[in-house]
Amino acid sequence: MRAPFWKGAEGESDKQVGDDISLIGRSLKIRGLLETAGETHILGYVAGRINASRIVVGVGGHVEGDMVAQEVVLCGRLTGRVFALNVIIVPGAIVKGRVFHHTINAAKEAQIEGRMPWRPVNFFENLTELPKEL
Amino acid sequence: MAMFNREKPLETPSAAPMKDVAKEADTHARTPETPAAQVQILSRPPEQTSVARPRPASEPSRISGALKITGQLESDEDIQIDGHVEGDIRARRVIIGAGATINGNIFGDDVELSGTVNGKIDAASVVLSKTARMSGDVVHKALQIDKGAFIDGHCRPQDQAAAALQAQDKKRNGL
Repeated sequence: MRAPFWKGAEGESDKQVGDDISLIGRSLKIRGLLETAGETHILGYVAGRINASRIVVGVGGHVEGDMVAQEVVLCGRLTGRVFALNVIIVPGAIVKGRVFHHTINAAKEAQIEGRMPWRPVNFFENLTELPKEL
Repeated sequence: MAMFNREKPLETPSAAPMKDVAKEADTHARTPETPAAQVQILSRPPEQTSVARPRPASEPSRISGALKITGQLESDEDIQIDGHVEGDIRARRVIIGAGATINGNIFGDDVELSGTVNGKIDAASVVLSKTARMSGDVVHKALQIDKGAFIDGHCRPQDQAAAALQAQDKKRNGL
C-alpha cells in the first residue's frame, strides 16, 4: 500500500511523484479544463473542470468548479462539485458545494457546507454529461 | 481571575505609598495589557502550526504527458510541461518537454523548448533544443537554437520589437 496522499502532499512527495502524476504547484493558476487519465495533485488554484482518475487537492490548494474522478482526496479548499466514487475529506479541508459520491470518508475537523448525495456505481460509470444545476 | 488576584497584592503595596496619578494611570494601562497578552499566547500555538504546515519552498509545477489543459496557466514560478496545452502560459520559467504540444502563446523569463509550439514565445532567454518544433514568432533577448530544431516564424530581439512598436506609435502620433 502507498502512503496516504495527503501526507505526500504535505511532506516528501517528490519521490512519489511518478510519470503520470501532474502537479499544479503552489503559485500556478489555471482557468479552464484539465483532462488526464492519470493523477493530478493540486496545490495551486484551478478554476474550471478537472477530469482525472484521481485528484488530490493538497493543503493550500483551491479548486473552483467541477471535479470528476474515481477518487478525490480533499485537503484544501473546494468551491463547487465533486463527482467521484470514493471521496476522502481530510481534516482542515474546506468544502462548499455538492459532493456526489459512492463512498465517502469525511474527517472530523473538515468544514463542509453543502450536500453530499450518494449515488450508485453506475451513475459514475455513465457520467458523460454533468447535471447543470448546482 | 487567578491572574488579577495574583497581581493585586503585588501592585497595591507599590501603588499605595506613592498615590501618584501617573502611577494609577500606569496600572490602568497595564491591566488591560495582561489579558491581551494572555490571549496572544493562547492563540499563538495553533497559528504557528497552521503556518508551518504548508511548505515554504514550492516545488515546480508539472503537467504530465497524460494531462491536457484547455485554458490559461499563470505562475510566478517554474512550470514543466510534458502534456498538451491549448491556451496561453505565463510563468517565470517554462520547460516544454519533448512530447509536449502547446497551441498558444508563452510568456516568461526563461523558456526551454524541446516539444511543439504553435504560437508565440516571448521571453528573455529562449532555448530551442534539437527536438523543438516551433511554428510562430520568437521574441527574445537571448536565443539559443540547437541543430535539428525546426522554426517557422520570425525571431526578433525584445528591445528591437519594443523599439519597432515605439517607432510605429511615433509615426501614428506624428501623422
